[in-house]
Amino acid sequence: MKQRPLVLQSLLVALFVAYMILPIIATYIFSIATKWDITLMPEGYTLEWYQTAFDHPYFSITLTNSFIVSIAAVLVGLLFIVPTTYWVHTRVPSAKPLLDLLMILPFGIPAVVLALALIRVYAFPPFARSPFLLISACVIFSMPFMYRPVSNSLMAIDVHTLTESALSLGANTLQILLRVIAPNILPGILSGSLLVFATVFAEFTLANLITGASFKTFPILLVEFTRRDGRIAAALSVISFTVAWLASIAILWGSGRGRKPTEEALGAR
Amino acid sequence: MAYLELQNVSKLFGAVAAVKDFNLAVEKGAFVSLLGPSGCGKTTTLRMIAGFEMPDAGALTLDGMDITSVPPNKRGTGMVFQAYALFPNMNVRDNVAFGLEVTGHPKQEIDERVREMLALVRLDDTAKRFPHQLSGGQQQRIALARALAIRPRVLLLDEPLSALDAVVRVALRGEIRRIQLELGITTVYVTHDQEEALSISDRVVVMNQGLIEQTGSPEEIYRQPQTRFVAAFIGTANQLNGVVVDRTQVRFGEILLRAPVPSGLNESSKAVVLVRPESIAIHAAAPTDAHNVLEGTIQTITFLGPITRVGVDVGGTRVVADMAASNRAAFTHTQHVWLSFPPDACQVMANQ
Ligand SMILES: Nc1ncnc2c1ncn2[C@@H]1O[C@H](COP(=O)(O)OP(=O)(O)OP(=O)(O)O)[C@@H](O)[C@H]1O
Ligand SMILES: [Mg+2]
Repeated sequence: MKQRPLVLQSLLVALFVAYMILPIIATYIFSIATKWDITLMPEGYTLEWYQTAFDHPYFSITLTNSFIVSIAAVLVGLLFIVPTTYWVHTRVPSAKPLLDLLMILPFGIPAVVLALALIRVYAFPPFARSPFLLISACVIFSMPFMYRPVSNSLMAIDVHTLTESALSLGANTLQILLRVIAPNILPGILSGSLLVFATVFAEFTLANLITGASFKTFPILLVEFTRRDGRIAAALSVISFTVAWLASIAILWGSGRGRKPTEEALGAR
Repeated sequence: MAYLELQNVSKLFGAVAAVKDFNLAVEKGAFVSLLGPSGCGKTTTLRMIAGFEMPDAGALTLDGMDITSVPPNKRGTGMVFQAYALFPNMNVRDNVAFGLEVTGHPKQEIDERVREMLALVRLDDTAKRFPHQLSGGQQQRIALARALAIRPRVLLLDEPLSALDAVVRVALRGEIRRIQLELGITTVYVTHDQEEALSISDRVVVMNQGLIEQTGSPEEIYRQPQTRFVAAFIGTANQLNGVVVDRTQVRFGEILLRAPVPSGLNESSKAVVLVRPESIAIHAAAPTDAHNVLEGTIQTITFLGPITRVGVDVGGTRVVADMAASNRAAFTHTQHVWLSFPPDACQVMANQ
């Protein structure tokens, strides 16, 4: 097979990068532009839109709410999905195809349908339109993002033999899960947490329908601003990106710390 | 009552009986090997002792206690796996300490035990290394140290050496036996390598298709196989099919072989005469004063280091004989030769 000319190859890569990056750069510039409509570049620059966003009474409330929902969704996912996945892998491997299938369902059900169905079924207190219901909905919605990386990591290690050797040494299931399995699937757990956090943090439909005005999340505020002034919305988007990036860095830093003993041991050799 | 006993133990996987009506008594401090071909149920038996599989019938007792339904983490059995199964996230020290830490031993005792165990397997200076920084042989020694650190009542090993290369395998099996004798620990060892089983065990259990074919000392298993299967599986015994003539003779083709016929075999019943290759002498000319002389043509000559193994076609039956490598020059392919062996080197059994 003939290799593609280098020029064409680089051009394709450049186009792809531009496709991915340009909107983000544009958003950043727009968020600090005084006026940007008929000129190629903005007519002037200002931090006014950030000021407006920060000063908005709902800014910190919605940011906090979004953090609460995202972190709760990550924790609930860790608490339920990781042990379930481990359990299915070791005890009932025959149920794994079923679990795989179940974990695709959230992709197939539109968020609107999920939200409206949950609102009707859980119409009674304390669930009705509460943050609890929103968190539960987000857990269901983001389940595949936790499940897939964890399941893949479990397949990459010899869970069975590791479990059995820990058992023969006298460990109970909780000790095995926390001291043997979790550390060895840490990369999967971390990327699952990251994906769940990012997905839930940016989730609009569920929050808008389930809690709406009673428990506003950051994306709801962002959409409200879109209707008022695109530049403030751009500023909020930039803040949203930044939160997602900070979360990634925090998680990667956490995983780096997890790997450190290995490097120390290597250095000592 | 023996220290570890399996009584009428059976295990089914669906319709397949992996282990059938298995009876085994292991004395305290003994080294017992389960030996047999792939799929004969060795691992299943070991896993039932460890508690990873529940027997469908029968009972297991350890140190006078019924352990049939005791969960694996309460049995006090140390297990060593073929795949090492060290915890990749822990260094050597933490691996060896794991069993003591999860059962809440004080730190000082743990540190002391870890040092003791690492000294036992002669890897004192690896405490800070991670499993992936050790060779296969070293990993398996750490796995052994980890299993022994909890002072198990029984040590179980499932083909611990099969992932290692030949030289390490031989060295490490000697190590395992030395440690086992030093600690006096009751050990059940699974292998499909007959040389390995014969060389390190006090007793060998030969298994076939979920059943015990024979139990005995390595010498008994080698010299007095009780079944054709054992004879064929252990070493390469020649099998000469014939018919019993009287109490001292068996007809093999046209030839009358002198061999001690056991009392269970009647005259003119079908029998098989077993002769080990090392008992057969090979001659370039017809011997005059020998019993049991067979004539044939050399098919193969295989150099095996200290000995040379010669395959001879005797009227359609292949017979192998061993000779000192120094005699090699006297023989060539397709040469006509005579084989002889003494009557007391033969074992006769019924040909089912
Ligand atoms: N979990 C299982 N499910 C179904 N069948 C099994 C299972 N484990 C073992 N078997 C079957 O039971 C029989 C005995 O298996 P076992 O692993 O005990 O053999 P083995 O003697 O250890 O063989 P090898 O030397 O290949 O390890 C085999 O026929 C095997 O296919
Ligand atoms: Mg096996």
